[in-house]
Amino acid sequence: MKKLYSNKLVIFSLVLPGVLVFLFAVLAPICLSVYYGFTDYTGMGEAHLIGWDNYVKLFQDSAFGRSLKNSLLLAIGFICIQHPIAIVVAAVLDKLQGRAEGIFRCIYFIPNVISVAVIAYLWKFIYNPDFGLLNNVLSAFGYQGKINWLSQQNAIWSVLIVLIWHGFGWGMLIYYTGIKNIDPVLYEAASIDGASWWTTFFRITLPLMKPVIQINVTMAIISALKQMETVYLLTNGGPNNSTQFAANYLYQQAFKAFKYGYGNAIGVVFIIICILVTVALNNIFRDKQEA
Amino acid sequence: MNDKLKSLKYIYKREEKEMKKKIIATLLTAAMMVSTLAGCGNTDSSTSTSNDVQSTTQEEAPAADDTADDTAPAAAEDTAASGEAVTIKLFSNLPDRKNGQGLVEQMIIDEYMAANSNVTIEVEALDEEAYKTKFKAYAMDGMPDVVSIWGQPSFLDEVLDAGVLAELNEADYADYGFIAGSLEGFKKDGKLYGLPRNTDIQIIYYNQKMFDDNGWAVPATYDELMSVCSDIKAAGYTPIAMDGGDGWPMACFLTDILVKVAGTDYADIVRNAIATGDFSAPELQEATQILVDSAAAGMFQVGYDSQDYGTAMNLFTNGQAAMFCMGSWECSMALNEDIQEDIRNNIRAFTLPVVDGGKGGANDIAAWNGGGYAVSASSAVKDEAVKFLNYMYQPDKLSKYGWENGVGMSAQDQTAYLTGNETDLQKQVMDILKNATSVSGTPINDCGPSAFKTSIESEIQGVSNGSTSVEDFLAAIGAACE
Repeated sequence: MKKLYSNKLVIFSLVLPGVLVFLFAVLAPICLSVYYGFTDYTGMGEAHLIGWDNYVKLFQDSAFGRSLKNSLLLAIGFICIQHPIAIVVAAVLDKLQGRAEGIFRCIYFIPNVISVAVIAYLWKFIYNPDFGLLNNVLSAFGYQGKINWLSQQNAIWSVLIVLIWHGFGWGMLIYYTGIKNIDPVLYEAASIDGASWWTTFFRITLPLMKPVIQINVTMAIISALKQMETVYLLTNGGPNNSTQFAANYLYQQAFKAFKYGYGNAIGVVFIIICILVTVALNNIFRDKQEA
Repeated sequence: MNDKLKSLKYIYKREEKEMKKKIIATLLTAAMMVSTLAGCGNTDSSTSTSNDVQSTTQEEAPAADDTADDTAPAAAEDTAASGEAVTIKLFSNLPDRKNGQGLVEQMIIDEYMAANSNVTIEVEALDEEAYKTKFKAYAMDGMPDVVSIWGQPSFLDEVLDAGVLAELNEADYADYGFIAGSLEGFKKDGKLYGLPRNTDIQIIYYNQKMFDDNGWAVPATYDELMSVCSDIKAAGYTPIAMDGGDGWPMACFLTDILVKVAGTDYADIVRNAIATGDFSAPELQEATQILVDSAAAGMFQVGYDSQDYGTAMNLFTNGQAAMFCMGSWECSMALNEDIQEDIRNNIRAFTLPVVDGGKGGANDIAAWNGGGYAVSASSAVKDEAVKFLNYMYQPDKLSKYGWENGVGMSAQDQTAYLTGNETDLQKQVMDILKNATSVSGTPINDCGPSAFKTSIESEIQGVSNGSTSVEDFLAAIGAACE
């Protein structure tokens, strides 16, 4: 067996498929994107090199700035709202035991199982000012006005609520698995010492969950950056780009405005931002681990 | 105590290591699940694509039984039966093959295949936005033989620059009864590349019963429209249902206002603005200001700027809105049995009333020839494709069937096909066109490059809801013209 693994040909043949997939499905498209980012390609006909024009325009483009700001808002929303609640819910679920634990775990995970398209339309109806659930509930409590939940000012918050709600189950499940994996001996020791629920949670559960939290936070930030489907279906970035996200903006520019070159420039900047964020996060977490 | 602490620390460290392993395992499982899900997703989308491609083979043709009767005599003149088998691929933006324009297209296809048994026509139909995206993908590696196109700069400029459409011989169409000027949008440098299917008029549909019951009158001036709107709002209804989420219907509405403000100068003003990127012309400012004031006065439903076509139309067809601002292609509402009878039978239409001090009269209307068909330049069966295209445009096909199915006006002379059984709505719209003293041509959003179209359709939401000023709006759409 050992001989087999040290055979260069075997190593080569085992590594090759992965390398090929990486080369042709990841690296080659990125290189092509970089090339097209320097052209005025419309998606049809010929491409002409135009130097840095696309990038200059991109940094003056308020819609792109808006979409990055929205990604940042969403990431903050995930980290400050979704995840704290998810951890607490996971800890409470763990304490529930028995049948209730299974039932509630299922309930919290349901939004993740439903298709994004269904979610988007469901919320479109909930938010509708004329026949939507929210305004009807408000009118049942005596509020007579019609609130426009997806107006230019409100839309981004309404969209954030949907996204936070939709991703909640996934984050909670990972925390829940993390909590389940903590050795019960620790809790026993703590309870012998007379620690309260909160002390146990802050002194044992949370510190032991650090690796889980790191991974969850990284995934949340990446998903905030990559956000596309829900926004595309719910508001398509509108009204007037107020709920625009980078991936959706890229799609609009490349495929609706026939600015394929510009779309690729957005793609390139987007990749760079994603890499920078990942490296920064790794550094932050590494520092903390060493400390 | 110290020992206990040590052992706790030990367990703690061991836990952390264990935890890491487990997390990695969990993540790997998750990744696997995601890739499995992605796999499912792929299968799904490929199935749906193959569903979209409705292969309309000879065997399936009799299934369209409502057209079978009409096609029977045509089948008799089976001239090309001995020819070699030909497959023509038709890429269409009409996914609904059972109603309206899609049904008309399918009827003609079925007839053509019955008359030419060697020809099979495969239809792939997608919604407008998906259609345009895929059109572009096709442009890169081979177009289907016959395609839907729009004879407007926002769509056609890039397409013609890429040289993917075949040139047609204009002289061939001298006897097809095309309305004067309707071919212009489909030409480049004097050469014809496509044929128009419809004449679209921008109108305001209204519920006549609701108007009569409440004593509201059809407005003759824009000020009257505003006051009717405030009456309707006071009565608890939405005055005009507007699809503001998509942007283009509002741009068409702005076009209509601009026509009433600038009259026959509309086309020149828009052309100059797009050529120079300078939208500061007073007419443009005035028209935009009227739109802003109207929206601020509550002319449209709450949240119009984020609602889609279906939602806006439902407000009108359910009786929650008194008016609906849309193109003449929605005339088929009067024949749509999904709409309650007392609403369906009471739908009427008027054009935007005149603006005080504007140059446009009541009969200067916003209308254009938008959608149409073309043949791919790279088609392997180009001659057959052109033959089929010409067949569709024989005056007794698209025009006649379109009229009979209430889909609105074609771009050809339809007077020979009036049956006398037209709905009141159809007659009204026909009169609007007949009485028109001038016709605007392409709506403003489609007059420039597609980057301009994307920009104005997004910016118009901001200006109408008051979050952008009129000046900023005009500057922003000007910048997109470069």
